Amino acid sequence: MSGAGNDTHKLSRFESVVLVHLDAAYNLARWLTRDASGADDAVQDACLRAYRFFDSQQGPSPKAWFMAVVRNACLDWLKDQRVRGADESYDEHLHAANNLPQFSSALELPEAAAARTAEARWLHEGLAALPREHREVLILRELEELSYKEISEIVGVPMGTVMSRLSRGRDLLQQRLRQSRERKRS
Amino acid sequence: MNCTRLQQVLDAHIDGELDATTNRDIAGHLSECSACAALRDERITLRHTLRTHAPYFKAPPALAPALRRAMAQSVAVAKPRSAGLSWFHAAAFATVAALAGLLGGYWLAQPLADYPLREPAVASHVAALAPTHELIQVASSDQHTVKPWFQGKLDFAPPVKDLSGDGFTLLGARLDHVADKPAAAVVYRIRKHVINLFVWRASERAPDALATSSVRGFSVATWAADGLRFAAVSDVEARDLARFAQRVSSP
Repeated sequence: MSGAGNDTHKLSRFESVVLVHLDAAYNLARWLTRDASGADDAVQDACLRAYRFFDSQQGPSPKAWFMAVVRNACLDWLKDQRVRGADESYDEHLHAANNLPQFSSALELPEAAAARTAEARWLHEGLAALPREHREVLILRELEELSYKEISEIVGVPMGTVMSRLSRGRDLLQQRLRQSRERKRS
Repeated sequence: MNCTRLQQVLDAHIDGELDATTNRDIAGHLSECSACAALRDERITLRHTLRTHAPYFKAPPALAPALRRAMAQSVAVAKPRSAGLSWFHAAAFATVAALAGLLGGYWLAQPLADYPLREPAVASHVAALAPTHELIQVASSDQHTVKPWFQGKLDFAPPVKDLSGDGFTLLGARLDHVADKPAAAVVYRIRKHVINLFVWRASERAPDALATSSVRGFSVATWAADGLRFAAVSDVEARDLARFAQRVSSP
């Protein structure tokens, strides 16, 4: 009989193989849903799904597998929001400054800390405003430093598509950077 | 290498995703073309900015404990469906669970054979249509979205066909179990009827011809090919399901 012992064993294995990637999962969920409680819901949903199918997952990278489950949960959450009539378009003014993570700035000069915060805010707005398909590959590449192959598994597209989406995403971000510099100058 | 080609592969080059020969060609071009070298520098600066300044949202401290609680609860609830040997305990919970439990017990008595498969497939079909159950985990009518979704989730690649020309609309797919074996479930619809196409690894390689039958009012079609077992289940007429199975099983 499969008793509590097996469940405990499965839970502890799940903990060491999947839950070690919780920060990565949450970061992806925050960037995809662009919403703190949405990210909570999606990650919780993803963990339950992942736990349910944990035994049948035999892929080479548990992280990529888990991230794919997280991504699907986020897309479902976004779909639910659309069904409920929530506006999908991103309101920069509404989201701009709130919920930025705090940096430990005790050892920084005030000017450096301010510049750092300004840069973080600019990047936060720029990344959040990108179309989802470009945003997700950039997060997975630049913040998680995953390979094209892993990203292609998570997003479910060929590696060539990962390459072109990354390229396009960086183009868009760079355009924005140039525009904001020109605005500052004028 | 010219400028157009270089700009196509510049990102993959910076990301370290190209082979040594291409990297050498790129380096050769960059040393001679200042316009392309400026593009590369801009990209490297952008990458540095992203990696050092982009907000990284760590999981809030309360999340992990909340997840552990939720999973402990789900273990208690999911047990009748997921833990093979405790099938008989399921009888106490619900009629459907009880039925599946008995069938599961019957199945376990014959662990080496692929038969009988129809009953467990019907049980999984019924369970999947229960209101609390998730019928579709990846919703798409595009086979090129559904098929790659299984990557990394199963140790086989279930075929996913576009049968819209035959009146069968692809709705999506999910991961499921048939008789406790991990199975792909590809979901189609014809008119108002849902068809679950279960695919799992056969215990023998031998192919098996298409057979259709009726189980408790459900139409069931089973066959085996390429080391995979197939079972299509629906409440649609046997004629329609046979047509569906023929289209799926034909190369």
